[in-house]
Amino acid sequence: MTELQSFDAGHQTPALRLAGLRKTFTKTAVDGLDLTVKAGEFYALLGPNGAGKTTTLRMVAGLLQPDEGSIEIFGVDARRDPVAAKRITAWLPDEPMLYDKLDPLEYLEFVAGLWGVEPAHAQKSAIELLEVLELWPHRHELCEGFSRGMKQKVALAGALVHEPKLLMLDEPLTGLDAAIARQVKDLLVARCRAGASIILTTHILEVAERLADRIGIIANGRLIAEGTLGELRELAGQKNTSLEDIFLELTRTMERAA
Amino acid sequence: MSFRPGSFAWLVAHDLRLGWRRFRSMFGKLRTTTVALIVGLCFAVFHLIAWPVAGWFASLQTMPGGARLYYPALASACLFVMPWLISQALTSATRALYSRGDLDLLFASPMPSRTILGAHAVATAIEALGSVAIFLVPIVNMNALIDGPHWLAVFPALVATALFATALGLCITLALFMIAGPRLTRVISQIAATIIGAGFVLALQAVHVLPAATRDSIVASIENPQAGSLFDRNGWLWLPVRAAAGETTDLLLWCAVSLAFFLATTVMLGNRFAQSAIRSASVAPKKVRERRMREAKRFRANLGSSLRRKEWKLLARDPWLVSQILLQIIYTLPVAIVIWRSQGEDGNIGLSVAPAIVVIASQIAASLAWLAISSEDAAEFLATAPVAKAQIERRKLEAIALPLILFIAPPILGLAFFSLWTALVASIFCAAAGASTALLNLWHPKPGGRAQVLRRHSQSKLVGVMEHALSLLWAVGMVLAAVGSWLMLVPAAMALGLLWFNRPGSGKFTLAARAA
Repeated sequence: MTELQSFDAGHQTPALRLAGLRKTFTKTAVDGLDLTVKAGEFYALLGPNGAGKTTTLRMVAGLLQPDEGSIEIFGVDARRDPVAAKRITAWLPDEPMLYDKLDPLEYLEFVAGLWGVEPAHAQKSAIELLEVLELWPHRHELCEGFSRGMKQKVALAGALVHEPKLLMLDEPLTGLDAAIARQVKDLLVARCRAGASIILTTHILEVAERLADRIGIIANGRLIAEGTLGELRELAGQKNTSLEDIFLELTRTMERAA
Repeated sequence: MSFRPGSFAWLVAHDLRLGWRRFRSMFGKLRTTTVALIVGLCFAVFHLIAWPVAGWFASLQTMPGGARLYYPALASACLFVMPWLISQALTSATRALYSRGDLDLLFASPMPSRTILGAHAVATAIEALGSVAIFLVPIVNMNALIDGPHWLAVFPALVATALFATALGLCITLALFMIAGPRLTRVISQIAATIIGAGFVLALQAVHVLPAATRDSIVASIENPQAGSLFDRNGWLWLPVRAAAGETTDLLLWCAVSLAFFLATTVMLGNRFAQSAIRSASVAPKKVRERRMREAKRFRANLGSSLRRKEWKLLARDPWLVSQILLQIIYTLPVAIVIWRSQGEDGNIGLSVAPAIVVIASQIAASLAWLAISSEDAAEFLATAPVAKAQIERRKLEAIALPLILFIAPPILGLAFFSLWTALVASIFCAAAGASTALLNLWHPKPGGRAQVLRRHSQSKLVGVMEHALSLLWAVGMVLAAVGSWLMLVPAAMALGLLWFNRPGSGKFTLAARAA
């Protein structure tokens, strides 16, 4: 099914197209990155710490200005028209960005207001999201009292309430317990089936292995390998190995080359 | 300094190091040597300032009837020092109970909770002592030099007072904890600490505002106290005063009482403190009653109202923040009263209070703008929203107008009671002053946590100076306008010029800010 989907998606405008993206702080974080994510695809971005994953996604979200290169989200030039690009994008960082003194329902109302979602519709999806994420009993509690996992879920609900076409998540499952992680994974898969494109960075290789249609491996700010799990296996020259082995093998080759 | 790890002194040193770092952080990025130099310089300057005070005390002995003033003067010093120390203890105990992590770690360790509380209390007492010592030590030193060595008795009395006040502060915090519960205690004790700390300033002003007859009768009862009354110099309330005056038995008694109270508190409350800390960690999330009806309420999703209501809710749900903002009014009051009194008993209250209201308006507007712009909890999140930054900022500035009006309306209405014209002029200048300092904070954001609102200038002294200059110019302009002088255009033009100089993209300011 996955292959069929991506075959179809090939003819559509890609969800995200990065070309020659470059960002230098004191050292180069993203080094001429080219990356294409198809519409409706679940894409996992892997890479060692400091590989440039978060920097890349922050540039896509409009939080950082790239030095060079282009960013297109569903055909919208994000550098020329950031507001239009943001309207269809959601960014969920690893540290949830919430207000301590708002409750989840108020937070979702605020987010919906920012994205200009039609109020009645926003309310309906807010209630659905809170119910699915089992936050409904806590809807009138202020976020300051929430555990990390609950905050992460509220932030996720906020990212989903405006129904983005492109959803980017930075380490969405770190620090979550198994039950919550499961809820989050199910929700993401459901969103993807409903047509949203999802990019997530993760350290948990098992997550990428099980959820992602395609996996990109990034090192030193460049894409060093990309493909389905099967394609990556071939690339690493190993059959029936786990993603972990492939990942280690590829990043090691990269380091040797550097 | 190194102590055996795990020992009592080691723990005290640990607490003191954290205290020192907090103190350091108030100076921004200055180097340790620079900070030490500043503190040393202040200490020296205070000695110079203390010289006339010491001279006045010495002259009391020879002045006819002067000796009677000696004890009341010492007593008012005690009234100043004691609340200050208690408020420090309150703040510190609250901080310890609620700034998690630290205490979790300590109580998870195999140390007895008594030791932990004891060490914390000692460190608190030392810190509080340090904060008053910088003012008191110069005064005592100069007095000892001029008036005689009996003044040195103040030092042991002060140490005893610090122990006493710290223990009292701890007791108050834990009592609040038992009565009001963990969630309320935090807010109450933070506000109480603020009010107690400002209490002396307020009390002094209150005395000034009292009718002359009442004031005379207070002075009379201080001078000729009835036995057993509040002002009876031999009563137990005056024990710390007599101790500070160097009466040997009383000094020993005061030291003994304080030490006993301190030890008893730390030994007996150690376990309770630990329990409180654990309870404060497991505070149930707050449910707000009045929002029960929200179920029926519809989502509203207009961008402007979304942003405005968010700002209002965040402010309304943080009583401590509101108290900090109101505190600025308290600090401005003395100025107003000094101006008023300088005009004599029948002075025009409108003209003296009105400029103070303008100053308050500009300060509050600056605080609110800083809270909305610089101290945004989820700045990055807002940046990902499909709304231009300028639009968000404009909505936020709109949002602060309402709370500003709420803060400023009562004094303006009070003013209108005296003079409608002055109130009208004052409101116009309040609006101008508020808008100018809000713009200043919009153009030069200095990110920081919301709790830092009164210390926001430690990030950029220059913005602070500009803020004060703007509020002063508008206040002066207001006075001139109220008396109908066209000269008011001068300060108004200067304020606008200052604002123009600070506009975004004006390289001068950025350069100056970098140099500052």
